[in-house]
This record gives sequence, C-alpha cells and structure tokens, in this order.
Amino acid sequence: MKVSARNEEWLVVVEVAGELDAATAPALRAILDEQIHQGARWLLVDLQAVDLIASVGVGELIRSVNELNSLGGDLAVICRRPNVLRVFEISGTGELLHVRQAEAEARAALEQARQRQQSQCARAGGEDHGQA
Amino acid sequence: MVKPNEDQVLVTIPCHPRYLSVARLLVGGIGAQAGLSIDDVDDMKVAVSEAITNVMDHAYGGELTGSVVLRYRPAPGELTVEVEDTGAGFDPAKIPTHAPPAPGIEGGLGLYLVKELSDSFKVESAPGSGTKITITKKHHA
Repeated sequence: MKVSARNEEWLVVVEVAGELDAATAPALRAILDEQIHQGARWLLVDLQAVDLIASVGVGELIRSVNELNSLGGDLAVICRRPNVLRVFEISGTGELLHVRQAEAEARAALEQARQRQQSQCARAGGEDHGQA
Repeated sequence: MVKPNEDQVLVTIPCHPRYLSVARLLVGGIGAQAGLSIDDVDDMKVAVSEAITNVMDHAYGGELTGSVVLRYRPAPGELTVEVEDTGAGFDPAKIPTHAPPAPGIEGGLGLYLVKELSDSFKVESAPGSGTKITITKKHHA
C-alpha cells in the first residue's frame, strides 16, 4: 500500500493506493495522526486507487473523523470501486465519513462542513460578545 | 473426513497480518476456477481477511504467535473457505453479527462484514478449544 499527503489551501489531501487491511492500516493511521497533530482539520481521503478495504481500514477513518470532529474539523472520502463502496454501505458509515464517488462531491461535502463550522464559531463569538 | 479426490487446497499461515495478502491471492485464483465473478471474489477476499484478522485479534491473546489453517474447497459455482485456529476460542453467541456497530464506533465490524458479504457463514468455537469459521460464497450473475 502507498499513502501520501499534500497540502491544498485549507485542506489536506491524503492519497491511498493498494489494499487496506490489518497489515497496512497502521501506515494510514500514522499519516492521518501526523496530519492532525500538525494542525490539519479538513482531510480529503482519496481511496480511488484502493483495491480492497477491510474493517480495520474503516476503523482508522472512524477514529480520525471522531478526533477531527472533536477539534472542529471533518473529513471526506472519495471512492469509486464497487467492492470498496459496498464495505462502507454495509458498515453504515457512508454519511459519517462523507463517502462520495466524485471528487467534486467530496470536496463540496467538506466545504459545507467547514462553512457549518465557521457559522457555529461566528454564532458562539456573537453570543460571547453579547454576554460580555 | 476429506475424500482423496475432493478438491481442496490446505494452507497453514503464520498468525501475522502480512500473510493476509497470501490468503487473498488464493481466494482470487481458486475462486476464479470455481466460476465466481470478480465481484464475488472481491467480497470473499474481504470476508476471508476479516475471519483471519479475527483470529489474530482474539485466538492467541492478541500475540502474533501460532498459526491459522485455511482450507479452500471449490465446487462448481461456489467457494467455501474454512479458517481454523487452535487458540483461546470464545462463545459465538456473544459475537454481534445481526447489525453493524453504530456509525461512530471503531471496531466490532469484522464478523458482521463476513456475514453480509457471504452466502453462508458459520462459527464453531468454545472457550479453550479453538475456532473454525466457515464461509461460503456462491456465484452471482
């Protein structure tokens, strides 16, 4: 499996290729953790070149989205292969992980999540200001 | 008891994740010979991976020791794979396979995936006497 990350304005794109199972999931965990600890809050995980995903791979993505959500961020997944989509569908994680077949849709899902977060921050700021 | 002329491929792999890809290669080769479609083979690869990973997580106290016996039994239009260990065993009734975990929960998905991706799935186990997971996938047009 190959995994890499690159910065793009306000988000980080993580590209994964190969088979994502118990042997390779630690490499994905390492790069996701590294990006989050370096301050990334919006991750676009590109699984278009992933041939197979096992439950441990889904688990790593859930772990990361939970951490990102707790930090005010989120992630989205691009995935086209039917067998990989089937695993997300069966696991019921498609919406939590914003799994989309088209890259533009995944980017849009992440942008919407970011706008929601910014609106919440603005409201919270306004409330704080009002109380002061 | 295996009949002398019965199609069967018997493989013993070390209990280590790096051998998952070896187990899947055999699913691909033997599944294609049995007449499974590409989608069927893809589903079976994940199901077998999950069964072996379950062994690695639970059979030997989480240690990557011991071995896993894989029996591939092709038949026209279907493939059965048995995944067997001699580890700790467990009570199959305690394994939730009727529904996936809630979306934000990590873990607990493996055997549910096996059930959903296969045509039949059986777990034979008891505490202290190892586990055998039998998975069958049939050809779907």
